[in-house]
Amino acid sequence: MSNFEKVSGGFSLDLTIDEAHILINLVEQLLELLGEGDFFHHYDSSDPFAQLMAMPDEIVAPEDPVLMRLLPNAYSDPEAASDFRRYTEPALRGNKQRTLRHMREELTVLVDEDRDGVIEELDAQIWLLGINDLRLALSVRLEIDASSFEKFELLPDTDHQKPVYAVYFWLGWLQENLLSALAS
Amino acid sequence: MGDTITKTDLSIDQLFDRPWTTIVWDDPVNLMSYVSYVFIKLFNFSAQRAHELMMQVHNEGRAVVSTGSREEMERDVQRLHEHGLWATLQRDDKI
Repeated sequence: MSNFEKVSGGFSLDLTIDEAHILINLVEQLLELLGEGDFFHHYDSSDPFAQLMAMPDEIVAPEDPVLMRLLPNAYSDPEAASDFRRYTEPALRGNKQRTLRHMREELTVLVDEDRDGVIEELDAQIWLLGINDLRLALSVRLEIDASSFEKFELLPDTDHQKPVYAVYFWLGWLQENLLSALAS
Repeated sequence: MGDTITKTDLSIDQLFDRPWTTIVWDDPVNLMSYVSYVFIKLFNFSAQRAHELMMQVHNEGRAVVSTGSREEMERDVQRLHEHGLWATLQRDDKI
């Protein structure tokens, strides 16, 4: 069973190989989704000159509801929202991609060696943000609302969404587990 | 003397330029413990204050988490979006 632990020098995460496969699969799917319209990938987004050079006239709000949840409007006014998006969305998208790539790198070690294992000295803040974005993405696809837990419980085991719900609730458990480790 | 000038500037600001606010909206996904954690991390709230604001978001659907200049609020909204919270900014509607 997966478990975050506070150890000397940082945090560690115990994962079974099945859990590592689930996580890396989700991470890669979300990376692929975030990569859409990624005009930015030749530049280091923290470089102000690169930001200036890459500045488009307009960035249209994403159509995919998952991306809209991860990269939401900052204003209710469409014009102000669009202006804000133009200046900030590339950095926000880039940060989320960096977080996921970081997780993928650490998970790749376990997956390549095809074994249960421990990720040592992981960056707890990065994992916290990454797990949260994965949960948000799944929640949009599952149309999660306040009554979702009951709905999930009543689903027959043959329902194709049942395993996805299970992963969603597991991610919530994993995040609580990390928050407890951070508080310890 | 310096203090007086500062105070005068402030009241003029308040008369003609309402401050901006950062609002966090409720969503059914973000864990309550996570929302409190993010409030403490980004705004240095006490655990109690963070918990109160989180409960306000949960029960009333929204809460103002910061107030200030438009630039400051844009920065706060950006950081909240980085953490996956649903946040917007707007002019303070209370004045």
